[in-house]
Amino acid sequence: MIGVQDFCGHYEWTFKHIEETLGKEALEKYWAEAIAFDSQSHAHQLISEKGFDGMEEYWGHTLTMEEAGYKITRTADAFRIDMHQCPSKGFLLEHDLEAHSDYCAHCMGWIGPVAKKSGFTIDHEHNHLGKCWWTLYKDGKKPNQGVLLRKVGDANIEKDPEWPNGQHHSYEDCKIKD
Amino acid sequence: MAAGDFYFAINATFRFFLKNYGEEALHNYWRSMGREYFAPLSTRFKEGGLTEVEKYWKEFFREEPGGKVNITRSENRVDIEVEKCPALSWLREHERDEVDCFCQHCHFVSTEIATNAEMDFKLEGGGGSCHQVFFQREGSR
Repeated sequence: MIGVQDFCGHYEWTFKHIEETLGKEALEKYWAEAIAFDSQSHAHQLISEKGFDGMEEYWGHTLTMEEAGYKITRTADAFRIDMHQCPSKGFLLEHDLEAHSDYCAHCMGWIGPVAKKSGFTIDHEHNHLGKCWWTLYKDGKKPNQGVLLRKVGDANIEKDPEWPNGQHHSYEDCKIKD
Repeated sequence: MAAGDFYFAINATFRFFLKNYGEEALHNYWRSMGREYFAPLSTRFKEGGLTEVEKYWKEFFREEPGGKVNITRSENRVDIEVEKCPALSWLREHERDEVDCFCQHCHFVSTEIATNAEMDFKLEGGGGSCHQVFFQREGSR
């Protein structure tokens, strides 16, 4: 039986299998369709119906269940997550699993389509070492960064001494920056 | 206890293969996973024999949420009596539409794991309860 206790391990291996046997487009389709709107249909429902409240309900439940080290910050125009210890990437690092070269891409791969379909967009950065930040906001309405970051305070992952380590990927409006 | 919501993703992954690429692609996915991702488990079973098979599955089902499973080892086999499958129970309790062939993954994945450990695997039943057996091949240990 395929279990949930090592889910991140076979999930990550699945990325490699899909990309190698069906191509990169198939992998993007897998995240954007199967994960976003089948597996995570509950996230889509919460976010599309309740906006920031739905995000808090979804990630509050999910990240607590996965025992993540994270902080959620809300302002009037933004919902931000500072992830200090991603349990998913942490599992892979702990077990020395790296079948696919860009595991972290799966998060934007499914959360991006869910956000867009719900009228939101995302700016995001990760370092491939289990640390990242996410800012979700209404599509086309950039939030006030000063207000947001003041409220985030010391929980800001960019203040973590280990943040500069690793390979960084940045996204703006759900699209990866060159 | 592991996060049961991951069963949603496992189920959605099976549906993705089936819907977009057909049954053979799904079977190939399961066989490949058994052969590649679970290669260290096959090695463990091959080296440790049925003692390791019993230990692995007992620990495995202790961690999976919500199942009811009884595991027994005898001279040449380990029997896994699944009274309540944790995955299907979780999907049903959360009113998720399970793929019809969900149970088949156990057959394909575990057959591959067993074969590469020089063992045999047999599965009977399905739909939420089943009987699985890992057999030690004669003379293999």
